Parts: sequence; C-alpha cells; structure tokens
Amino acid sequence: MTIAVFTFSLIGAMAIGMPVAFALIICGVALMHQMGISDSQIIAQNILNGADSFPLMAVPFFILAGEVMNTGGLSRRIVNVALVFIGHVRGGLGYVAILAACILSALSGSAVADAAALSALLIPMMTKAGHDKARSGGLIAAAGVIGPVIPPSIGFVIFGVVGGVSITKLFLAGIVPGLMIGMALAIAWWWVARGEDIVPPPKQSWAAAWRAVVDGAWALVLPLIIIFGLKFGVFTPTEAAVVAAVYSLFVATCIYRELKLSELYGVLVSAALTTSVVMFLVAAALVSSWLITVSEIANQVVDFLQPFMGNKILLMAAIMVLVVIVGTALDMTPTILILTPILMPIVKAAGIDPVYFGVLFIINNSIGLITPPVGVVLNVVAGVARIPMGALIRASWPFMVAELIVLALMVLFPALVMVPARWFGV
Amino acid sequence: ATVRAPAQGIQERTIRWGHLNNPGHPTSLGVRKVAEVLLAKSGGKLRIREFPASQLGNEMQQQSALRGGTQEMFSASTTSLATVVKDFGLLDFPFIVGSSAQAEALITGPFGKAMLETLPEKDLIGLGYWGLGFRNVTNSRTAITKLEEFAGLKLRVIPNPVYLDTFRALGANPVPMNFGEVYTALETKTIDGQENPYSVILSNKFFEVQKFLSATNHTYTQNIITIGKKFWDQLSADERKLIQDSVNESRDYQREVTLKADTESLGELKAKGMQFNEIAPAEMARIRTATRPVAAKFSADLDQAKVRLFNAELERVQKL
Amino acid sequence: MGRIIDLYCEGLKALIALFLVVMVVLVFGNVVLRYGFNSGITISEELSRWLFVWMIFLGAVVALRQHAHLGVDTLVRALPAWGKRACFVTSYGLMLYADSLLFLGSWKQMLITAGDRAPATNLSVGLFYLAGVVFGLSAGVVLLYDLWRVITGRASEDEMVAVAESEELLGDVTSVRK
Ligand code: NA
Ligand code: NA
Repeated sequence: MTIAVFTFSLIGAMAIGMPVAFALIICGVALMHQMGISDSQIIAQNILNGADSFPLMAVPFFILAGEVMNTGGLSRRIVNVALVFIGHVRGGLGYVAILAACILSALSGSAVADAAALSALLIPMMTKAGHDKARSGGLIAAAGVIGPVIPPSIGFVIFGVVGGVSITKLFLAGIVPGLMIGMALAIAWWWVARGEDIVPPPKQSWAAAWRAVVDGAWALVLPLIIIFGLKFGVFTPTEAAVVAAVYSLFVATCIYRELKLSELYGVLVSAALTTSVVMFLVAAALVSSWLITVSEIANQVVDFLQPFMGNKILLMAAIMVLVVIVGTALDMTPTILILTPILMPIVKAAGIDPVYFGVLFIINNSIGLITPPVGVVLNVVAGVARIPMGALIRASWPFMVAELIVLALMVLFPALVMVPARWFGV
Repeated sequence: ATVRAPAQGIQERTIRWGHLNNPGHPTSLGVRKVAEVLLAKSGGKLRIREFPASQLGNEMQQQSALRGGTQEMFSASTTSLATVVKDFGLLDFPFIVGSSAQAEALITGPFGKAMLETLPEKDLIGLGYWGLGFRNVTNSRTAITKLEEFAGLKLRVIPNPVYLDTFRALGANPVPMNFGEVYTALETKTIDGQENPYSVILSNKFFEVQKFLSATNHTYTQNIITIGKKFWDQLSADERKLIQDSVNESRDYQREVTLKADTESLGELKAKGMQFNEIAPAEMARIRTATRPVAAKFSADLDQAKVRLFNAELERVQKL
Repeated sequence: MGRIIDLYCEGLKALIALFLVVMVVLVFGNVVLRYGFNSGITISEELSRWLFVWMIFLGAVVALRQHAHLGVDTLVRALPAWGKRACFVTSYGLMLYADSLLFLGSWKQMLITAGDRAPATNLSVGLFYLAGVVFGLSAGVVLLYDLWRVITGRASEDEMVAVAESEELLGDVTSVRK
C-alpha cells in the first residue's frame, strides 16, 4: 500500500506538469497522511537539513567550473589538441569528438555542458569534411554520456551523499569504465561511418601540433590536478571542486583572457541558479526518503525481490532494466534521488559492492540522457547543431546500443569495473 | 495543534529512537536492551524501533525533530546539546576526569541531575546518560608520547569551540569536520588524525586508514538519552514510568557492554595493526597544564551557578 | 505586480552570486591555509554550508519565477489549451499547499531553535530555518501571481507549461567560445 501511494502520487503529480521537486514534496505529504504522521515540520526539517551538506557543496563548484571552461575558452583548446593529433585520419573527426569528450569529462561534472561544447565546436567541422550531420550529432550526444562517468561527476556526488558511499572511491572507480565507453563509441563510429565519403582536414605540421599543446596545456593540467589530488589525498571531493572552479577562473581570466569581468557576473548567477534547481530537488527528495526510511517500503521491496537475492548478476540485471526504463522519461538527478533510497538497502542486502553498483547506476542514468522520449543531451545537441529531433534519435541509436552493451558486459563481468578500480586503490 | 489530555493506562505505541552509531556499537546494544525491557514490561504494547547510523538525519535534525514532536527518542553525546543548553559544554572540558568511575560519579551526581532539569524548557526530557568512553587520538604521522608531538597535527575535531581550543592549546591544527566525512578525509590524508572513543574508532574502521593510537584520554564522552517533551506530555503516568524504568534498568547492562567494548575494541584495534601507546604520567601532567586556560576561558560565558556546582562536583569526584 | 516580482528576483540573483563567491573564498581559502600555512578558518565549514542553504532557497524562488525547475512536460504539451489550464491550476494549487507546509514547518522550527547557537559561528540556529520561511513566503507570492494570471486568462498557452527538462538548459550552455 505504501509503495502504491509513493508511486502514484509521485507519477501523478509529475504527469500534470508539476516540477519534480514539488512532486516529491506532495508525494511526501501523501506518505505522511497514509502513515498517520502528518506534520509540516517533517517537511521543513528534511528539506532544510537536506540542503545543509558540505559534500554536496561540490555541486555548485563543479557547475561553476564547467560554465567558466566553456565561456573562458578552455573547452575549445582541448578540442584543438585532439584535432591536431587525430583529426587527419579517416573518420578522424569522430575520434576527435570521443577523445575530446573524455578529456572534457575529466574537467567537468556534467554531460550537458560537454555535449553543448562539442556540438558547437565540432559538428560544423564534421559536416564540412563530409560526415552526415545527424550521425555526427548522434555520436556527440553519445559521447556526452561519458561526462558524468569520468570524474568529476555531479551524479557521483549526489549518489554518494544520498547512498552513503565514498565519493572519492566512486570518482576513482569511474575512470576506466568511462574510457571503456569511449572505446565502444570509437568502434561503433568506425562501423557506421566506414561507408562515408570524406575529405578529412589536412594533417597539421608538428609546429602547429606543438602550439596547440602548449596553448591547451593550462586546460589539460586540470584533470591531472583533480585525479592526483583525490588519489593522493590532497583534497576531499568538495575541495577538488573548488580548486577546479578557482583554477579555471584563473586560466580563463588571467591566462586566456577570454572571460571578461563583465561576463563573470552572468556566469556566477547562472551557476548559482543551476545549483539551486539541482539542490532544491535533492533537498525535496529527502522528505520522501526520510518517510521511506520510517515506513517499511525498503523492506517490502527487498521481500518482493527475494527470488533475485541469491543471484547478484540476475539482481543487477533486473535493477539495470528498471533504471533504463525510468531513465527514458526522467533526468539524471531525479532518477538518482528517487531510486537510491529504495535500491541501496537491496544492494546492501544482496552483498553487492556499493561502489560497483554506483558506477553502473550512474552509467545507466547517463545513458538515460540520450534515450527518447526525454533525453536532455539529445535536446541540447539538436538545439545547438540545428538537427531535427527525429533524425538525431535515429542517428544516435547505434551509439546508444554500444553503450548498453558495455553496461551489460559490466553486469555480467563485475571485474571489468572492480579490477581497474583496485589499480586506483578503491 | 490540538492539546490532548494525558492518556490513561498503556496504549499501543511505536517509539522511533534514532542515534548516530552503527549497529553493534554499545549505543545500539543499549537501545535494543531498552526496547526489549520495555516491550516485556508493557505486555508488548510499547515498541521501540531503532534507527541507527544517522538514518533519521544528523544531530541537529534529530534534536529539532524531538523538540518539534516528529521523532520520539534520540541519543547522542552531550556535546551536541551544547548548542541548545550552553552549560553542557562543561562536560567537554579537557582532562576533568581520570577514570570512568569518576565520570560516572560526576554524571549521576547533582551536576548531571541539574543538567537534565535544564531540558524541559527546551522541549526535551532527559532520561539519563550512557557513558561512551574516553576519547583518544589516532593519527597517521607519529605516536604521541609527549606534548610537543601534537605540533602541526591536522586533527579532525567535533565542530565545537571547546574542542578546537583544546587542541589549539596543545599546538595541533584542529579541523572542524562533519563525522560523515572523516573516513575519506583520513584515507586521502586531508587530515592526519581524529579523536574518538575506541569503540567508535573500531566500528567506523578508522584502523584501515590510521597507524597510531595514543591513549590521550582527553575527554570522557557521555551520551544523553532524550525524549521529546511534546511526545512525553501525551503519555500516561504509567507509560512514562515504564519508559523511565526501562532506561534505568538497562543502565547496568549498557555500562557493562561499554566497558567490554572499550577493552575489546582496544584489543581488536591492536590486532588490526594499530600501534598503541600510553603516555607517561609526567607528560600527561604537562599536556593537562597546557590545556588549563581552555576551561577558564569558556567558563566565563556560562551560567555561574552551574559552573560553581560543576567545580564543586569535580573536586568531589576527583578524589574517588 | 510582475515587475515588482522581477525586480525582487534581480535582487535575489545578486545575492546568490555573492553567496557563491563567498563560498568559493571560504572553502578555497581553507585549502590554501591548510597547505600553505598549516592553519584554517574555523568558521569556514559552517558558514559556507549556511550560505549554501540560503543560496539554494533564494535561487529556487528565482527558478520558480522563470519556470526553470525540472519536470516532465511531455504529457502537458500534448494537451489542448483547456487541458493545459486544468493541469496548471491543479498543479499550482498543490504546489501552494506544499509551499504553505514548508513555510509553516520552517516557521515552527525557527521559533524552536531561535535560542540555539551554532557551534562554530555562534549564530542563532533560527537563521538557518529562516531560509525556509523566506522561501515559503516568496514562492507563495510567485505561485499565486502565476495562478492568478492563468485563471484570469492573462497567461499565454506557453506559460502554462511551468517546467524545464534539464537544469542545465537554464544556463546559457550554447555560449561556447569558438
Ligand atoms: Na566528469
Ligand atoms: Na531518457
């Protein structure tokens, strides 16, 4: 009964166009009524205290860093570096997009920012070289999926806080799976683009390559700072985020001088507003999450899944299918917030490593960003590159399938995630 | 809100009791014991449901939930109550007791009782205290054998001014940090060490990321068992008595498991590879002297009647 | 009325930008002090968390005004105008209810904790819950104004879809330097 109240109030409220944050509060109100403990203070306490978290302060700092990198010319220089090395090979611009996506991922926490930057910079170049425009857009949308998998990642931060899992471990465990997705995309790109008639851009001289690297060095150092800083314990994830923000501000204003002080105010407001939207949602989700804890929904779900409990792979497969379905309609943050409190007790009860689960969960959520009908990254790419939505969805599916295959392999062979994670000391 | 008349007899009730420790910790064992006793005494009518490991939120949230009437019971260190009643801060003064027997005498004596009486006006009822043990310093840099070895150590302390000043007085760099982040911060060497009772060090697996454990015994932490006044006022006299009796009766058991856990935890921490050391009495005296100004500084801000009672009580228990 | 709300939101934007800057300074300053000078700002952690909370709730008011909160608009967009209006009125009615509960609960908690002092900054804990009170009031005004416009037929059909599908679309993500 409690599960029914939870599900129907939430879906009902969202269906009539209510913002997810308010739908979650309404769902909380419904749960309170059903459990006979209605009190406005439960709502206020959980929302206010839910926002009051030092680890979650990584969110505004990573968002700020992402905004500054795009406005301040860091993203463009990273694309340039990838371009001078592999732009000239056959179909090379596709590999440039994938490589640049991996590097950008290591700088920014979000898929949307990465996909926006890459579509603006690369799609015009790719169409000029003779690639199909929709296919190029499909590849870039799919490459955006790497963003939240390679650290830093806002998805990992929110999952780590809500699920009580070490954010540092999640970050370090995400590196290799992110690169694996890149590899899978490269293979898929080679396959679908092999018949295209292309004039790749000319090979650049070594001098030009050197210039691009020197110019991009300031931007390329940042991922190293973040990953080594986390690995060797120079800072916590929140501090890594603030270092990324300050560093990119410094490079954008003092080195590249592309971010004018007059633009800075707009960047700050935009980062603060984006944070408010994400975090208000996080805070609102803690109302129903508290009520789920107090009720026994989690136990009911565990009981329901009892037949799967003995088989970790089967259980993971079932959960992953559920997340794919939810992900078709819901954005990443709400999916994490709604599912984590329900799934974590199951994962723990079944003895699945929470870090392993977290990596797969975030990959899955990230793929959800390009699954129709609601795929935010698709919207961004379609908007920036002016590609019709239908064409983009058709062109992106081979890449999406490649990513789902990687995910399936990780379900079947957990070692794919956990062995490399141990290299990083997770 | 409707004002309900006090209930008669014993009704069926579920009491949500939240705390911050992991299952298996003496606090959790204590909660389960009270639940067991209360269930038997009430003929199965009064049930306690335990919510361990901050499931119901951090200290601030659970405390205000009790006061607002949305959670029934909570136990946490008296330190967290110092934001509500400043005078609880007296118990955090460094090196005030030298043994758990002294700590016990202080908290069960007139001072401990007087502190419980400050709570009803803050919408809380204090049902008693559970000793949690002496706090000791762990770190990854050096075995602390003398005062000078505190120098420059980045130690996580409870975000509380008394703790900050104590470790500053010792020459360390106290870093206020939420408990939930400590493991990662230790693992990544963002901080060098932290201070907690042995049982907490063990149940949070700090031994995985810390090498040295030094018996600094700087503070004796008391857990206080609180129940929301709004909820308490709805209970019948019989129900109140059953709850108070169950807490009282579980006290000996809880003290026993705390002592046992303290000894066993230390043994297990050593077995897990932590390098343990005691501090020679002469050095302890120097360390104690270095922190003396802390008590003087903070006493000035508190209720002077409480401070006098506290000092008189200290004189009494320190002779034990 | 709309102008006054917009002006108020401009003020809120300036505040949240300022709070973000102070958060960066406090947290980054702490890292620098810890590594460079082996010390730290004691109040940094607590103060930056509280600014974070205030930033979230003030920013959430602006987002409400801009219809920028995350949601799923697929179904609503497919409806005819009268259907959109019905959904909007229902959804805003429920949101007002949720908002009033948040306001009331924050108000009660603020009164309960007004006398408590935060450990590091010594600020009244009531200030923390005040963020919820301010949000509750401001959001109430924004919601009522939108609702009034839709009920009286002053709102366009587009305004009756009150959500965005991604938080990041509200930032100007297309402004990539080429
Ligand atoms: Na990333
Ligand atoms: Na989707």
